Amino acid sequence: MSLAICFGLFLPLVGFLSLVLLSGVLDRRQVGILACTVIALSFFSFALLLGTFLQNGMQPAHVTLFQWIPLPGIDANVSLHLDALSLLMTLIITGVGCLIHIYSIGYMDDEEDLARYFAFLNFFVFSMLLLVLAGDLLVLFAGWEGVGLASYLLIGFWYRRPAAAAAATKAFVMNRIGDLGLLLGILLTFHLFETGDMGEINRRASLEFIVGAPALTLLTLLYFVGATGKSAQFPLYSWLPDAMEGPTPVSALIHAATMVTAGVYLIVRMHALFLLAPITLQVVGLVGAGTSLFAALCAVGQTDLKKVLAYSTVSQLGLMFLACGAGAFYAAMFHLTSHAFIKALLFLSAGNVVHMMHGETSMEKMGGLARIFGKTQWFFLIGSLALAGLPPFAAFFSKDLILEQEYLAGYHFLFYLGLAASVLTGFYLMRAYCLTFLGPLQLSLKARQAVKEAPCVMWVPVAILAFLAIVGGLLGYPLHGTPLLETFLHEVGLTMFEAELHSGFVLTPETWVAISGALCAVAIAAWLYTRGVYRLAKPFSWLKQAFYVDNAYEQMLVNPLKRLSSWIVDVWEPQFFEGAIWEIGLMAQRVSRWLQRLQSGQIRSYLAWMVAGSALLMIYLVR
Amino acid sequence: MVFSSMALFAIGTIGIVIKRNPLIAFLSIEMMLNAANLLFVSFARRWGDDMGLVWVFFVLVVAAAEAAVGLALIINLLRSKPIVDVDEYNQLRG
Repeated sequence: MSLAICFGLFLPLVGFLSLVLLSGVLDRRQVGILACTVIALSFFSFALLLGTFLQNGMQPAHVTLFQWIPLPGIDANVSLHLDALSLLMTLIITGVGCLIHIYSIGYMDDEEDLARYFAFLNFFVFSMLLLVLAGDLLVLFAGWEGVGLASYLLIGFWYRRPAAAAAATKAFVMNRIGDLGLLLGILLTFHLFETGDMGEINRRASLEFIVGAPALTLLTLLYFVGATGKSAQFPLYSWLPDAMEGPTPVSALIHAATMVTAGVYLIVRMHALFLLAPITLQVVGLVGAGTSLFAALCAVGQTDLKKVLAYSTVSQLGLMFLACGAGAFYAAMFHLTSHAFIKALLFLSAGNVVHMMHGETSMEKMGGLARIFGKTQWFFLIGSLALAGLPPFAAFFSKDLILEQEYLAGYHFLFYLGLAASVLTGFYLMRAYCLTFLGPLQLSLKARQAVKEAPCVMWVPVAILAFLAIVGGLLGYPLHGTPLLETFLHEVGLTMFEAELHSGFVLTPETWVAISGALCAVAIAAWLYTRGVYRLAKPFSWLKQAFYVDNAYEQMLVNPLKRLSSWIVDVWEPQFFEGAIWEIGLMAQRVSRWLQRLQSGQIRSYLAWMVAGSALLMIYLVR
Repeated sequence: MVFSSMALFAIGTIGIVIKRNPLIAFLSIEMMLNAANLLFVSFARRWGDDMGLVWVFFVLVVAAAEAAVGLALIINLLRSKPIVDVDEYNQLRG
C-alpha cells in the first residue's frame, strides 16, 4: 500500500522533472501526452488505493520515509498519511486534475511554451498531493509552499503581460502573509507538542488541554491566518480575483477546485484542535460568513466572466469556513467536493468561450453566444443551477447541509448571512449565463464566422464534470441510511461532533427557504437580464470595484510603503548611510595624515624612536 | 667594567642620534659593538667561562664585515649626493 502511495505521489514529480529536462527533445504532442499520462496514472493508483482501503476496513496507512530533524524536543519525520480524508482529497486532485490536463491540450494549442506550462501544472499536482498526504506538519508546509509557488508561476504564466505579472506578485505577497501565520502556528505546535505528527497532535490535544485553553486558541488562530491566505478569505482574499490573469484551466484547477481549498483541508485535518478552541471557531464562522456574503455581492457587479467565477469561489469557500466554524466539518468537506466539480465545470465551460473568443473575458463583448456554443451553454447552465443549489444537483445537498447545521448549531445570525450568500449565488451565476449566452449577439458578422464551438478535447472533460455536478450530490444523499460520504469520512472522526447535531437528511423548513430563495434569485436574474433592461447596469459600479477594498489597501498599505521606500532612497540613504560611510573614510584619512609625519625620512629620528622603544621594552621586561 | 661598558654604549647611542656626519655615526655603531665586547670579556672572566671570549671573536668578525658593507654604502651615498649630512638623505619621506 505504501508503495502505491509513493507511486501516486511522486509520478507527477517525475512528470515535472522529465518535462523540464526533455523540453527540448519532445514535440508538442508528446509534451501533452506525457503530462496527462502521469496524472492519469496517479489517479488510477489512488483509485486502486480506494479499493484496497475499503477492503481493509478503512485502516489508515502511515508511511515514514525518513527522519527529517532528529533533535530533542522536535520530532519531525518525512511521513505520509493516507486516511479517508486525504484519500478523498487525492481523488479530487488527480481526478479533476487529469480532466483539466486533458482540457489544457485544447486550450493551450496556440501556446508556444507548452512544456513550461505542463511542467508547472504537474509540479502543482505533486505539491498539492504532498500537502494532503502529509503526515507531518512540516511536510504539509512544504506542500503548502509548493502550491503557492506553482500558483505564482502559473498566474504569471504570460509574464510579458504586466497585469499578469502584477497579479502573480500580488498573489505571492498575500499568500506570504498567510504563510507566515501558518509557519508561526507550526512552530508553536512544536513548542506545545514537541512533534509534528498530525495524528498524534489530534489525539493528544484533548488529553493535554482543556476546552478554551489560551495556547490552543492562539495556535488555531495562527492556523486560520494561514488558511485565510491560501483560501482567499477576508482580509487576504483580493489576490484571487486578480489571479484570473492566468490561463483558464489554471484558474479551474488551482484557483477553484484544489489549491484554494487547502485552508479548509487544514482546518478539517486539525479539527480536534479547533474543537478545543471555541473562540477560534466563532472567528472562523464569522469570517467565513462575512466573506461569503461580501464576495457574493461583489460577484453581482462584475463585468468580467472569469471574475464572476472568482468571486463566486471566494464566496463558496466562505461557506465552507462557515461550516467549519459550526463544527460541521463533514458538511465542509462535502461542499468542498461538490464545489470542486461544479467550479471546475463552470471555469472550463467559461474557458471554452474565452478560448474561442481569443482570450476575451469581458461579458460586454459577449451575449447571444448560445447560438454558437451549443454544447457549452448547457454545461455552463448546469454548473450555474448546480452551484445555485437547485434540488437535483450536487451543491444543493452540500450547501443546504451547511445551512441546516448552521441553524441547528444555533448560529442564527451566521445562518442568515450564509443564506443570503447562497441565494445570491443563483442570481450572479444566472446573470453571467444570460449576459454571455442569451440576448442579442454582440459580435460583428465577420467575427461571428471565426468563432466556433470548442473542439472535442475541450468539451469532453467538461461533459464528464457536468455529469459529476449532476450526480455528485448522491454521495451525500441517504440512499440506504447514512449517506455514502458520511460513512466514508466517519472513520476520520469528522462526523462525531455532528452526530450530536443531526444525522441523515431531512427537508426542514430552512431547506425550503433556501430552495425557494435560490429559485427566486435564478428567476429574477433570468427575467432581468434576458430583457436587456439592466444590461451591465451602472448601479453596480461600486460592487464591481469590490467595495473599493483594493483601493483602500492601495491607499492604506501600498502607498505608505512606497512613500517610505522613496524617503529611504531619497533622504535617509544618501544622508545617513552615505554620510556615515564618507565620515568614516575621512576620519581614516585624517588619522593616517597624522601618522604620516612619523615617516620623515630622517634616519636619526627613526633611530631615536628605536632607542626609545627599546628602552621602554627593556623597562617592561626588567621590571 | 660593567659600568664603563654601559657608559661606552650610552655614548655610542647618543652619538648616533645627534651626529649628522655618517662617518661619525658609523664610529658610534662600532663603539656600541665594542661595549658589548667589553661586557662579554668581563663576564667571561667573572664566571670563569671561556665561551664569552669565543663570542667576542664572532662580534669582531661581524663588525669587520659590517664595516666593509657600511663604508661601501657611505661611499655610494656620497656619490649620489656630495653632502656629508644624513639629514639631507630624506628621499624616503612618507
